[in-house]
Amino acid sequence: MLKSRKHVFWEAMVMTIAIFLVGLFLGMMIEQSNSNKISSFLIESEISLADGNAFSEIIKNQNFSCDIIKNMNIEFADKVYEEAKLLEQFDGSEKLTDNLKSLHKKYDLLRTLLWTSNQESLERCKNYNLIIYLYEYETEELDKKAQQNVWSKIISDLHNNEESVLLIPIAADSELSSLNLLLSEYDIKSYPVVIINNKNVLYEIESEESLKKYLD
Amino acid sequence: MEFLTYLYLFYTFVAFYFLFIYILVYFQNRKQIYEVVKPNKIYSLSIVVPCYNEAGTIGKNIEAILASNYGGLKKLIVVDDCSTDNSFEIIKGYAKKDKRVMAVQTPKNTGRAAGAKNFGAKFVKTELIGFSDADSYPEKDAISKMIGFFNDKKMGAVTSRVLVSNKKNKLAKIQAIEYKIIAFTRKLLGFLESIYVTNGPLSIYRKSAFDDVGGFDINNLTEDIEITWHFVSKGWKVEMAIPSVAFTNVPTNIKSWFKQRVRWNIGGLQTISKYKSKFFQCGMLGLFIMPFFIMSWFLGITGLFFLVYRLGRYLIGKILVAKYSVASQVALVRYEDLSLNPSILFFFGLVLFALGFTYTIIAMAYSRENNFKHRVHDIFIYSIFYLLAYPPLLIISFYKFMKGENKW
Repeated sequence: MLKSRKHVFWEAMVMTIAIFLVGLFLGMMIEQSNSNKISSFLIESEISLADGNAFSEIIKNQNFSCDIIKNMNIEFADKVYEEAKLLEQFDGSEKLTDNLKSLHKKYDLLRTLLWTSNQESLERCKNYNLIIYLYEYETEELDKKAQQNVWSKIISDLHNNEESVLLIPIAADSELSSLNLLLSEYDIKSYPVVIINNKNVLYEIESEESLKKYLD
Repeated sequence: MEFLTYLYLFYTFVAFYFLFIYILVYFQNRKQIYEVVKPNKIYSLSIVVPCYNEAGTIGKNIEAILASNYGGLKKLIVVDDCSTDNSFEIIKGYAKKDKRVMAVQTPKNTGRAAGAKNFGAKFVKTELIGFSDADSYPEKDAISKMIGFFNDKKMGAVTSRVLVSNKKNKLAKIQAIEYKIIAFTRKLLGFLESIYVTNGPLSIYRKSAFDDVGGFDINNLTEDIEITWHFVSKGWKVEMAIPSVAFTNVPTNIKSWFKQRVRWNIGGLQTISKYKSKFFQCGMLGLFIMPFFIMSWFLGITGLFFLVYRLGRYLIGKILVAKYSVASQVALVRYEDLSLNPSILFFFGLVLFALGFTYTIIAMAYSRENNFKHRVHDIFIYSIFYLLAYPPLLIISFYKFMKGENKW
């Protein structure tokens, strides 16, 4: 009757370890696959950014239409924005590895470059609005998280409803020296914060309507 | 990885481990679950029933035991623990009608079932001694299906399967499911020599084993758990006869259910405390039963804090988002909020739930009752909500235990 007594504990342990290892392996595979997906997007975006920069250099002293510049920049920014949204989604399901964290940082760098590359175009053309949304990625404060959640929605609505808005959300706590240098010019006290057209720094957003008055 | 992820993985690992133990034991022994051993001889048996203010049920209990088809039943000793109702009059009435019934009364109220049981045990002169609660009703063949296990001279105790008699409302119906799961699990634990309790509704002990452990511990709130651990610690075997059924009344309101469960938990803690020196010693008691109990407590209590922490943060986060959303006139919920990217932890949880639910269904299938079918939604309520009540109960019980509250 008790023939199984001696072995069942080890057998159960072996089964548990086996299913656990399979589960962890599958989990890591899924996370790796997500990471690979984002990585391939990132490579494309990096190429697009480099292409955009080369384009800017070429047209610098020529009379190219500002509309072309605007459309190219907004199109590229929107692409990066959509990829970032996907990254955010994958971010929440990443439990076993830290692959996406470094990708997040890479995207922040890409978006910082996009911000800098737009300084001159905006100055020259003035035919679109540049919204930089700076938030804290690593914060554990519930109030801040909730505030950032709602701000994202307001800014996203504005971006969807207005035609000429170039939106660049950047995690301010990415520890990127280039970003830190850029931010030091604005003397920012706390996050989240919104910078519109490189001149208006907003620590409070009441609604989408309240943002519109800062747009050109 | 975050600390909470490690914690979650640890929980998952332990849950899988215990579940696999049960699954393996089930598959390796499933043909023996309903095993009934034929007795080598007629063992003489006395049954002791403690009674305190049980006028409503004691008669039915006595009749159920007297109706047993076991020929070796010599005495039914019904111990009135100085009831304030007319229980003793009823008992004396039965004693007059059937000479096997002995009506005795404690000199003063002992305050606990253990006291009345020990008092009744003094009158027992048979090889076996059985105990039944005054609100329980063993089936006609319940005793005879237990006796054969005593062919093994090291068998100290045999316990029965308890089913719920008064399935009057939702709470009782859910407890009926719980009792079936408990009975099935206990039988599986029996294959590991790890039965940790011989229940009150019907258990039979070898009298020499009962004397060897000195009877019930009157200071323990769950004397049936304590005596079982005592048997195991002294090297006596404990078995369960799943075909042997005793029906019992369960609490039908939350207050009495809560009181009963707290008492069970405090009794469990008293027992762990009493036998702490046996931890990782003394065969299956120290190697499995005690770690199993302690692990259940640890996981139950820490799990609740974990759950409350996560749930609390989630809810506070949602409230804050709602507050800011309303102030900014932004939609509360959007499609992006609903898009799911489940993590591996979610899949682990899903597999665990599926395995646990399958186990529940198998356990239920082994405890079918004639003329009664459980509703599927009751099984879901049991599996999802009822089990969630355990951890808070553990914490309350632990608090009361630490405060020294050990009233019946």
